[in-house]
Amino acid sequence: MTFDFVEPVVFAVLSIGVIAGGVAVVMLNRITAAALLMAFTFLSMAGMFVLLGAETIAAFQVLIYVGAITVLILYGVMFTKFSTSPRALFFQKQTPLAAVFVAAVAVPIVIVATLSFTGAPPRPGGGDLPALATSVFTDFAFPFEIASVLLLAAMVGAIVLTKRDDQEEAAARRRR
Amino acid sequence: MPVGPFGIDPLIWAPLRLVIAVGLALFLVLNGALLQIYLERKIQAIIQDRLGPYHVGPFGLLQTFADALKLISKEDVRAAATDGWFFVAAPALVFCPMLASWAVLPFAKDIVGTNLNIGLLYLTTLGSMTVLGIVIAGWASNNKYALVGGLRSAGQLISYEIPQILALVSVALVVGSLSMIDITRSQTGPFVNVLILPFSFLIYFIAALAETNRTPFDLPEAESELVAGWLTEYSGMRWGTMLALSEYGNVTVVCAIVTTLWFGGWQGPGVDAIPLLGVLWFTLKVYAFIVVMMWIRATLPRLRIDQLMSFCWKGLIPMALVNIVAVATLALAFPNTLVPIAIANWLLVVVFVAGIPFFQRRRLATLRARARASATPAVRAAS
Amino acid sequence: MTVPLGAYIAVSAVLFFTGCAGVLVRRNAVVILMCVELMLNAANLALVAFSRKYGSIDERGSVFVIFVFVIAAAEVAVGLAIILSAYRNRPVVDVDEIHQMKG
Repeated sequence: MTFDFVEPVVFAVLSIGVIAGGVAVVMLNRITAAALLMAFTFLSMAGMFVLLGAETIAAFQVLIYVGAITVLILYGVMFTKFSTSPRALFFQKQTPLAAVFVAAVAVPIVIVATLSFTGAPPRPGGGDLPALATSVFTDFAFPFEIASVLLLAAMVGAIVLTKRDDQEEAAARRRR
Repeated sequence: MPVGPFGIDPLIWAPLRLVIAVGLALFLVLNGALLQIYLERKIQAIIQDRLGPYHVGPFGLLQTFADALKLISKEDVRAAATDGWFFVAAPALVFCPMLASWAVLPFAKDIVGTNLNIGLLYLTTLGSMTVLGIVIAGWASNNKYALVGGLRSAGQLISYEIPQILALVSVALVVGSLSMIDITRSQTGPFVNVLILPFSFLIYFIAALAETNRTPFDLPEAESELVAGWLTEYSGMRWGTMLALSEYGNVTVVCAIVTTLWFGGWQGPGVDAIPLLGVLWFTLKVYAFIVVMMWIRATLPRLRIDQLMSFCWKGLIPMALVNIVAVATLALAFPNTLVPIAIANWLLVVVFVAGIPFFQRRRLATLRARARASATPAVRAAS
Repeated sequence: MTVPLGAYIAVSAVLFFTGCAGVLVRRNAVVILMCVELMLNAANLALVAFSRKYGSIDERGSVFVIFVFVIAAAEVAVGLAIILSAYRNRPVVDVDEIHQMKG
């Protein structure tokens, strides 16, 4: 008895999860539900990374996307008011145009991708952590530093953007 | 015939190992919650010079069991304005990552769910997933106390994750592996990691107190300001899952990480002769830290939310960064010995402990100055 | 029987264009940000899959995924900050209605 069928089945379940989650994010009007389903998409994607043998990437995926980005977006949802009444998603004038454009680009790409890459990716043993770490800290050390500067800039930028002017803050404090 | 651990055929051992690991995890989490609530009440009672539970069963041992029965048999109440699916999903979102953490924690030699080579990263990942459930719970309750509690909790968890991970990095630097089993194996003999890296242990333990919502960092469920924080709308077994199982489960997980990383995990006297003795040592060490956490809860008052945040961002994170720089530099400079790292770490501990009164005095001085400046003339005249 | 590389690329393409359609169709700025995240994540899947198939032993494709993570985190932080500061000026999150770029 072999367990060869496990991998395709897991892949099918995960891909259904990824695509259904993505479609739900686009279609749902309730933004909190969309955010939660986005987290679900990211989790399924982490499963795909595990299936590809990239456990470290999968762990980072969950750590960053589910633990940080989804929570940040939920904060964004909670701090802004949004209309819960169903907006006419399908009667906007850009919907048909977008559908045509997306279909025209997506369908050929999906077909070509499915037909051309038929070989299975090899499954490495022993995990990808040492190779990944060696690569990041030797060949890509300079881009790594640039990326950290970018993160610092983003942090400072986010703080500056959301910080109120001093007068406003003083007014807010007086109101309190 | 190949012989696996304990002289059992490896083919039989593989599923048997899983059963033992799952059984131990369930035992430690589910019974652990009951035991820990009892312990918490008893220890607090002793410290506060009370009796604690003593009616049900011998020494009140069955009190939490009776409480659990009560929770299970309670009516499933859901307020009308709550957000249906999210309200139901949130306890599961909080509970599942905690349960999944047990997969990589080694209870004894060969008694572990799986030897993941990124074990530490996996544990931090699961720790960060809890935040999502808490935010969702706060949002779905449709209640201002719950919402504020949820947002506070999310901010707290995200902030305190950083010093936690930085403290773990220093251990990974010294041991050279992220696998929990390798980390345990590296600490044979009396020289466990806490003697080499006491400062990162200190940082991790403080951050872990915040991560598991324990006093003095239990702001998200501060009874005096927020009713019950993000748990306000929950009752019955949903509340039981969220609070009792998840919170005490998380405490157990954090203590198990501390035990494995800094105190040698299942290693102890007599383990080589009887491998199953490792489970006993591991459990004893974990419960020692749980008792320390309860002791802290009974001793320290609660912080204010801005103090909590500024302590993390201005105190813990810079200290953790200094620690990492020191450990990494010394590990590169002296690749063959751990003595310089140990000396540097103990020095940092001394500086930290000696620095607390100094900073406290300066803080008090500024606070008094601010109070004097902002006091109204009438008050100033009266004083 | 194993999963061919093309299947991963196809899932990645479908998710990417789902996100693309979301960016084009939706009007809520937060949802647009979410759809951009989906697109970035789809690119990650393609990068990891190709890195597995054609990459050398040193995982160069996966390194790019890490940089994509960095970009995604920075983008969400700055994007949400922009949305919040725009919301503070006028309480709308629909991108159709944020057409005045002054003050």
